[in-house]
Amino acid sequence: MTSQWRSWFHKLIAVAIFLSPLLLINPKTYITITISGLAMGMLLFLVSSGFSLIFGFLSVLNLAHGALFAWGAYIGFSSFNLINQWTGWGGSNSLLLNFIIFFLALILAGLLVALLGIITERLVIRPVYGSHLFQIFITVGAMIVLEELIRIIWGPNDEVMPVPINFMGSWDLFDVVISKYPLMAIVIGFILYLVIFTILRKTKIGTIVRAGVENPEMVQVMGHNIYRYFTGVFAAGSALAAIGGGMWATFVKSIHPAMGGEIIVFALIVAIIGGLGSMTGSVVGALMVGLSYNYVAYLVPKASLGITMLLLVIILSIRPTGLFPEGT
Amino acid sequence: MKKEGLNPVQHFRLREKETRFRTPFFFLRILLLAFFVLTPFLFRSFEVLDVILKIAIFSALVASYDVILGYTGIVSLGHVLYFGIGSYLVGIFMGKLGWTSYGHLALSFLIAIVISGILSVLIGLFSLRIRAIFFAMVTLAFMEFTFILSSQLRSITGGDDGISFKLPGILAIDFSYGKILGIEFTGRLISYYLIIIVSLILFLLMLRFVHSPVGRVLQSIRDNEQRSIALGFRTYHFQVIASSFASCIAAVTGGCFAIWVRYVSPDSSLSVPIMLDVLLMVIVGGMGTLYGGIFGATFLMVTRAFLPKLQVLIASLLPGVPLAIRLSERWLFYFGLLFILIVYFFPKGIVGTAQEIFSKRRGS
Amino acid sequence: MEANPVSEPLLKVDEIHTFIGKHHILQGVSFEVHPGKVTVLLGRNGAGKSTTLRTIIGLLSPSRGRILLKNRPIHHLKPYEISRLGIGFVPEDRGIFNFLTVEENFRVASLQENGKTREMMETVFDIFPDLKKFWKAKAGNLSGGQKQMLAIARPLVNRNELLLIDEPSKGLAPIVIDHLIDAMKKLKEFTVIILVEQNFYMASSLGNDFYLFDDGKTVHQGQMDELVQNEELKKKYLGISG
Repeated sequence: MTSQWRSWFHKLIAVAIFLSPLLLINPKTYITITISGLAMGMLLFLVSSGFSLIFGFLSVLNLAHGALFAWGAYIGFSSFNLINQWTGWGGSNSLLLNFIIFFLALILAGLLVALLGIITERLVIRPVYGSHLFQIFITVGAMIVLEELIRIIWGPNDEVMPVPINFMGSWDLFDVVISKYPLMAIVIGFILYLVIFTILRKTKIGTIVRAGVENPEMVQVMGHNIYRYFTGVFAAGSALAAIGGGMWATFVKSIHPAMGGEIIVFALIVAIIGGLGSMTGSVVGALMVGLSYNYVAYLVPKASLGITMLLLVIILSIRPTGLFPEGT
Repeated sequence: MKKEGLNPVQHFRLREKETRFRTPFFFLRILLLAFFVLTPFLFRSFEVLDVILKIAIFSALVASYDVILGYTGIVSLGHVLYFGIGSYLVGIFMGKLGWTSYGHLALSFLIAIVISGILSVLIGLFSLRIRAIFFAMVTLAFMEFTFILSSQLRSITGGDDGISFKLPGILAIDFSYGKILGIEFTGRLISYYLIIIVSLILFLLMLRFVHSPVGRVLQSIRDNEQRSIALGFRTYHFQVIASSFASCIAAVTGGCFAIWVRYVSPDSSLSVPIMLDVLLMVIVGGMGTLYGGIFGATFLMVTRAFLPKLQVLIASLLPGVPLAIRLSERWLFYFGLLFILIVYFFPKGIVGTAQEIFSKRRGS
Repeated sequence: MEANPVSEPLLKVDEIHTFIGKHHILQGVSFEVHPGKVTVLLGRNGAGKSTTLRTIIGLLSPSRGRILLKNRPIHHLKPYEISRLGIGFVPEDRGIFNFLTVEENFRVASLQENGKTREMMETVFDIFPDLKKFWKAKAGNLSGGQKQMLAIARPLVNRNELLLIDEPSKGLAPIVIDHLIDAMKKLKEFTVIILVEQNFYMASSLGNDFYLFDDGKTVHQGQMDELVQNEELKKKYLGISG
């Protein structure tokens, strides 16, 4: 009975903390900021969930994950421009066409980066299975190579990310400003979360992956070719990072080669807070970081990164392994 | 001492001491030292002097990182934080506060050492509770945080633009002692020798540390922590001692760096790319071999200085296709590939692998 | 025990040597396992029994020697291939997935899902009724004995011909062990068992043939009922008397 009370208590505290900025911000601005915070959270979830899943399932620390995020953004950028050149759907007034071109660009980014991920896994990561230290080393090298490859192919400058016309701007509801794209990002992110959740919980493959997060050796012994699953999970994680990259680029409306290195620190923090290897943890951690970052950015702009660090230190002090255990 | 009365450990140590000055490695080290000392006489170009000195400074920094990574087995990704503290303290004292005297210079170093030591103990306290890989991430995040802090606090740190400053007395640029042996002893040259001496002292300190009884305990902790605990060693205390020692050394190297470039800014002293450089250097050179730091530093500094020249040469030979030009421009790309290959084929680093080959040949 | 004509061994392990890193753990292990029998591997801690099971299932590769399943060499195959040939493995730490439900644990185990599987599940429920009761519960919430039963029942769903079980009685109370022995006796009809056990009571209740391990070698073999009488052997290799 006490543990039930305790979990309700925790949820109550979480809600209280979530609502506390209302004391300092007026409700209308609060809603706007909450939406940006949730959007940022959802996008962080996409990037960090891939990293967390790869770590949980393969026990591999892939620091090049950020580079895959950047690649997703760049491929999304190029495909969007390419498709737009042929069809003009990006500038069209039809919302449907806007959606189609947006999703096509994202899907292309996801698929190609999944391929890139598989290649990286085979060439760079397979040799260092089992040693986290060497994984750190070699994925740092891979990150440098991948980032430089972006500079070689697309050039070293920042680029403006094209956004479909109907995604820009915002609605004004009773004086509350609701930006269109962040809301979309929340919805898309949530749908992706549901998809991942359903696959993991309801399908056989998902069940095997969850079992593998707990005990990969046993899964092998029970007759499943775990290496195929490794590759599959790596590809899925990379695709998620890519989609996160494309959507993030649309959110901030620009891309630059170093964006991978910048996001990886956030993704790491989110993954650690949530618990490496836990999907639920990634969502919760990402939302916490996204919301806190945005609230603090509004109130005390220079302290926004500080709050993320503070969150990390606090959570690791009460739960050294992160909020949720592996495999949830 | 009679040889028969010694136990195996004493026998080994005695043999080590006896042959210490006769191994080929020893001559190599003397040669290396001579090279550093004679460089200003051998090369008149400032650029070469600059590269050589940076090699010296970074060798000491990388060696200090090796003490915690290679000898103690702690994976930290925020070591450059202490380097930054050392640099900034010199910069703030000399620049922002205008306290320019030898005494103040020495004081800035002292304070940097104290701050670094305390900070590393605090961070170490935190590490006791969390897994090793988490610690690596946390140190990285912490360094990133300090980086942003230093670019925000303009009044203290000069923000993104950093602090430029002058050095006192014989270290000042405009000072000149006159000619000795054909070259002019400017403040620059004197700073050069000062830093070489300091780096040498630091390096010797580290060598003493890892070969001392404390150092050996650390190695045993790295190799088998459980057994060390079972043998009664308070592993945590040793790890904290090692990391404080290493962070203090890093702070001093940071101060030296600031003296040489007479400038400090977040990008030049505290950034993640510098940490990556250190990581690269320690891997290429070899973990658990302090000398690997020298090799790694040389490798990185030399490639960084001369590869761009090579690429300009190559670019002039290629047609004007943008992709081809960019392919030849981005030498970092090739460096990254080379790095991956080195990690793959020489997991112990170049020096580490060499040491292994030599010890196998000696049949010990 | 009826006198059977000497049948083809289901599994034959022929002079295998296995290294873990630099350590030469198995230094010549040989034995045969016949249909209809429970073969027990006995010996002190560290004698190499678990390593032998892990080598059979493919988690370790023998540097010398062969392992033949129905006369077919399997020692070079990967664990999932060996498992698919009909060998089930229950490791010392049970290997159950604590965050998955009992149902999901079985799901991971079952290589096909058809009528035969359903039949087998009925049999499993007969022998281990608790598993039906806790079907939807998280495996981590089961008691020690129930976890052990889950671990043993899981591979059965594939109608494995051979089941490798490593120290099932570890950490269980005597009455639970009795329960387990009853259940495992019923298993003998469906599958051939290789059992590694320190608990001599369990070993002697279930075993037909035995092999004694010492220092990574198989040093003695015979019938279980003989060993029970042989005080000398028991003392020498198992350190037990009486």
